[in-house]
Amino acid sequence: MPTTAAAKPVNGHNQGIFHNTTGFSTLITVTVLTLAWLAGFASRLFAVIRFESIIHEFDPWFNYRSTAYMVEHGFYNFLNWFDERAWYPLGRIVGGTVYPGLMLTSGTIHWLLHALNIPIHIRDICVFLAPVFSGLTAIATYLLTSELWSRGAGLFAACFIAIVPGYSSRSVAGSYDNEGIAIFALQFTYYLWLKSVKSGSVFWSICTALSYFYMVSAWGGYVFIINLIPLHVFVLLIMGRFSQRLFVSYTVFYIIGLVFSMQIPFVGFQPIRTSEHMAASGVFALLMVVGALKYLHSLNPKGEWKQLLVLGTLVAAGAVFLAVVALTYMGVIAPWSGRFYSLWDTGYAKIHIPIIASVSEHQPTTWSSFFFDLHVLVCTFPVGLWYCIKNINDERVFVALYAISAVYFAGVMVRLMLTLTPVVCVLSGIAFSIILELVLREDDPTQAPVETEESKNLYDKAGKVKKRAPEPVQTQDQGLGLYARPGTVIAFMILLMLFSVHCTWATSNAYSSPSIVLASYGNDGSRRILDDFREAYGWLSQNTAEDARIMSWWDYGYQIAGMGNRTTLVDNNTWNNSHIALVGKAMASNESAAYEIMSMLDVDYVLVIFGGAIGYSGDDINKFIWMVRIAEGEHPKDIHEADYFTERGEYRIDAEGSKTMLNCLMYKLSYYRYDSGGSPPGYDRTRNAMPGNRGFKLTYLEESYTTEHWLVRIYRVKKRDEFNRPRVPISKRTISTSNSISKKTSKRRKGLLKNKPTVVKGKKMRLE
Amino acid sequence: MEALFTLPFTVLEIPNIKIKKPSWLQAPSAMTTFSLVLLSYFLVTGGIIYDVIVEPPSVGSTTDEHGHSRPVAFMPNRVNGQYIMEGLASSFLFSLGGLGFIILDRTHNPTTPKLNRILLISVAFLCILVSFFTTWIFMRMKLPGYLQN
Repeated sequence: MPTTAAAKPVNGHNQGIFHNTTGFSTLITVTVLTLAWLAGFASRLFAVIRFESIIHEFDPWFNYRSTAYMVEHGFYNFLNWFDERAWYPLGRIVGGTVYPGLMLTSGTIHWLLHALNIPIHIRDICVFLAPVFSGLTAIATYLLTSELWSRGAGLFAACFIAIVPGYSSRSVAGSYDNEGIAIFALQFTYYLWLKSVKSGSVFWSICTALSYFYMVSAWGGYVFIINLIPLHVFVLLIMGRFSQRLFVSYTVFYIIGLVFSMQIPFVGFQPIRTSEHMAASGVFALLMVVGALKYLHSLNPKGEWKQLLVLGTLVAAGAVFLAVVALTYMGVIAPWSGRFYSLWDTGYAKIHIPIIASVSEHQPTTWSSFFFDLHVLVCTFPVGLWYCIKNINDERVFVALYAISAVYFAGVMVRLMLTLTPVVCVLSGIAFSIILELVLREDDPTQAPVETEESKNLYDKAGKVKKRAPEPVQTQDQGLGLYARPGTVIAFMILLMLFSVHCTWATSNAYSSPSIVLASYGNDGSRRILDDFREAYGWLSQNTAEDARIMSWWDYGYQIAGMGNRTTLVDNNTWNNSHIALVGKAMASNESAAYEIMSMLDVDYVLVIFGGAIGYSGDDINKFIWMVRIAEGEHPKDIHEADYFTERGEYRIDAEGSKTMLNCLMYKLSYYRYDSGGSPPGYDRTRNAMPGNRGFKLTYLEESYTTEHWLVRIYRVKKRDEFNRPRVPISKRTISTSNSISKKTSKRRKGLLKNKPTVVKGKKMRLE
Repeated sequence: MEALFTLPFTVLEIPNIKIKKPSWLQAPSAMTTFSLVLLSYFLVTGGIIYDVIVEPPSVGSTTDEHGHSRPVAFMPNRVNGQYIMEGLASSFLFSLGGLGFIILDRTHNPTTPKLNRILLISVAFLCILVSFFTTWIFMRMKLPGYLQN
């Protein structure tokens, strides 16, 4: 968005041009923030304009479904909602296994608008919630950055976060997910925390706790806050920066935040039971000890206290640490859960929890993701960090820790790029603001000392330096300054412009696909919409029994429930690994073994995604190896990953593929009758191969429906009496005629006993 | 109270030792901290964690139409995959760009002579521009359709 890029430098100028008035700086602040909000909102609408106002992907469908349920049935019914449509036959207690903040937010907006007689459908609120919240995130980032550095830096940071792809990837219109509102809560909590550390007032600490409460209700990433804030306190203690302000703000925040966070049903007693939260309690205890020692010190300042203080702190830290370890060992505190543990031991998930490793957004990050999501900010981020470390104070310690931890986590998981993005925007805002400030009013030796003094002044009011700014332009001091200055400014403008071009491009091309409606482009640039998913889910909802059970891989569980309104076996809330492994085993077994599992699970229909006809790479055959891995984890006797590879260790589906692979259920369901489709016929465009096993028949299942582009294929599982029946020649078939006789025979009217055998000549006697 | 404290020392003799803080233990300077941070930043943005977990080859290879195998530096068309060398090269450029910005800041020291200042500014700009445009080209090689349509 070039508008925002242009708006910022104007601001820089104006601080000089318009003398001292705070009115102007407020006006500029408001204008820039409004523009940032608008730009951020507008750049997230590509999906709506290209396709329609629709919920995207997988998880948002569940969020939408439960929001709709909440709006319809009320909040308390939502909390007590037992969803028997999911995880058949187990069911799911939705109220207790969900972060309700998202649903509550959109429910509140819905209620408010309806109270004002604006009849908007809940779906539209859900679709546009994340873009609207991106503006709030920009404002929260502005506040955070102004707290850290200056208002100018804040405006830069707000404009960056409004359009940066790393954040818009999770907040385009239609991606109705927890992250959309959680980043706002995250930034706002951090802002309030810095405010409370700075002021040491109980009021701000309670505000922090409230904002933390909102964050806990919104996203599981709250664990990041409850570990980062204690880390900040801990590092401040190590640096000898203990103060009453710190003591007040942390203790108040910790106690109130702890009580608040336990109000969320899904979180429950975790904050006092699990290792993820123990850092916070440990630091709390440590802070208490240090506070007590300081207090004793203040009673008798003359004594030999210094050593005792250091020693006492060390002993206390050791004791706290040992206590946590001992409690964990005794089983009072649950150890790190797999998801968090895999952040530390990066190889852990790959070996032990394939279900976590299988999700593409849990993969480690490559350089191109960093560049793609952050563009020029990836370079300016260390610069901002450098300024913060150089001029350190309590708050900047925080942002440095935030930066370092977020960089590490983003490196471990692509998904956590999202927590890195805000801090990158903050620090880049600082870097750009300082450099432009220096470039725009430089030189003039008389000013140099003032300048250094000003840079020491941490929260410089924009008004301070205003009067000096216009002069240096006229001073003919160095010939260099004369040319270098405009050159630098122009270079920075170009950089920022390219940044906004990149952001718009990335948001539009990479992150605005709803993924349930696909678009393909022909050679002439024409666009075709592939709406196979909704076609299939629509078919399910129209043509199957109300209580039909659909088996599919877990990715599609939420969509089947949301759009098809049918019962699923597994879905994207992957809480029960063994159930998922059972489905994986069914898909990986041959037909008859799979039938046993399917009849055990009462499956009526099987749904597979097959992308071979259109070259869609995210289909089930490509995901299949993960099904095998997950199944092998639970059933190591029946499923062996090596069986699905060729002898040379390749994963292929053509004639060279392994026997097990070519006969498993997933293969058969994908390629059944495929000879009649695809171009050339029978050719798999995703894997660029001719399937190795063709023209086979299905015994235990029958094809029910295949969508237009073969993308979704639905099969019906036959009942036990429908298959394996020997074929009898027509001449030898005996047709029972009892049913075809009209019931209104003379005998019937007389009222015979029902089961009395009747003798008909020429037929064997049958007992019914 | 006083008596209670002194009680053990009627039996024990206080050893005459002095515990000194070891001289090497001191808060690291801002520059050291930053260098460490920048180094780790260099490694992480280069996808070192990806390299450890996924274990890709350092440089890929492909077979051309004559059947010769040719090395390929960039894993094309995939944002979430990389070879080791391309990751290190790009993260080197990222860090170079960052250093450029820091050098630019250094030019504002009023005691710097004019010539040095010119040199510093040109070096800084060279760093920024080189890193920016090379990364751009890398991205083009990785995603052929980058910034088009």
